[in-house]
Amino acid sequence: MSVALPDAGIAGKTALVTGGSRGIGRAIVELLAAQGADVTFFYQHNAAAAAEVVAAGTAAGLAVAAEQVDIRDAAACAAAVERIVERRGRVDILVNNAGTIRDNPLLAFEDSDVDAVIDTNVKGVFNVTRAVAPHMVSKRSGRIVNLSSVSAAKGGRGQTNYAASKGAIEAFTRSLAVELAPRRITVNAVAPGVIETEMSKDVRELAGDEITAKILLRRYGKPEEIAYAVWFLVSAYANYVTGQVFSIDGGFKME
Amino acid sequence: MTTAITQDEINAVFPTVADMVADALGCDLAEVKPDVSLIEDLGAESIDFLDMVFRLERSFKVKIPRGKIVENARGTLTEAEFEQNGVITDAGMAQLRAYLAEVPAERFKTPMKVKEIPRLFTPETFCKLVISAQREAKAAG
Repeated sequence: MSVALPDAGIAGKTALVTGGSRGIGRAIVELLAAQGADVTFFYQHNAAAAAEVVAAGTAAGLAVAAEQVDIRDAAACAAAVERIVERRGRVDILVNNAGTIRDNPLLAFEDSDVDAVIDTNVKGVFNVTRAVAPHMVSKRSGRIVNLSSVSAAKGGRGQTNYAASKGAIEAFTRSLAVELAPRRITVNAVAPGVIETEMSKDVRELAGDEITAKILLRRYGKPEEIAYAVWFLVSAYANYVTGQVFSIDGGFKME
Repeated sequence: MTTAITQDEINAVFPTVADMVADALGCDLAEVKPDVSLIEDLGAESIDFLDMVFRLERSFKVKIPRGKIVENARGTLTEAEFEQNGVITDAGMAQLRAYLAEVPAERFKTPMKVKEIPRLFTPETFCKLVISAQREAKAAG
């Protein structure tokens, strides 16, 4: 008996990944492009890193494009999505990955520590998703994956702002899954643990041993290990999965 | 006072609107008559209205704010003259019947709630929505 695995259905799809120049986002861009998707990613600051991702993709014969977009700006998100639709006619896959971190104990917060995290991690997701979803509704298909974090479910010192933003994303994911299911659009989230990226560098340096002691697998995750979960959720293998949060955290233990 | 929308104007946009409706609702183009009820006859749901408005905005390159049909139907009446506690007033019903002239009289029930208005919408309603948006865009230069 032989059971053939079905085609993952990613080749030829049009994908948008926010925050794609570095870290987890870059790993997602690279994996989806390597699987044959036409990938556009947004980045905010690091033009050199973005150019490097585009150049590496292009050199490998893959379709990778970058757009500098501040996702806190709804009009800029709408305009950038419009450019993708003009070029490709559709957006099949949206990965809301862009996020920022401003760890600080609540008592030491500046207003900007709250605003920066909520504006990017929550409002940014609304802005990009509102620009993309009508196109998916019209095509009656689409995949949306939002990046949450282990912080949404498990307390972390100095992370009230970040945890609140990611908790919001998980709630957003479940509600949007309900709204868009009738149009055959799935909405899921991936909640990474501590991953070896620039974003987690400070926390790993400050509390490395304390953190790995809480991880059943006793090591940090790699960006590509998150990309694999995103790949699954946007592939044909996940046709029957929606409204879920997948924890990819090496077995991060509760406090 | 704005000029009434003419049949010629409606005829001009109807083919595009009908294509859009057939596509959005996955129904046969032949079913999309100007006066069929989108909800009752063609099975439209609320998300379909958002989708149809989105498609119209794209194909006619106009901007259609949410709630525009009811606003257009209300015409010169104030909100309080048009409805009381969500129920359409007699003056409001008269205005609505005039605006949705293509809708057969038996589809209007009394009393009628504002949130029930979408049940009356027809492809022609959407034609008028496009025409008024085109006029507004033109007026705004």
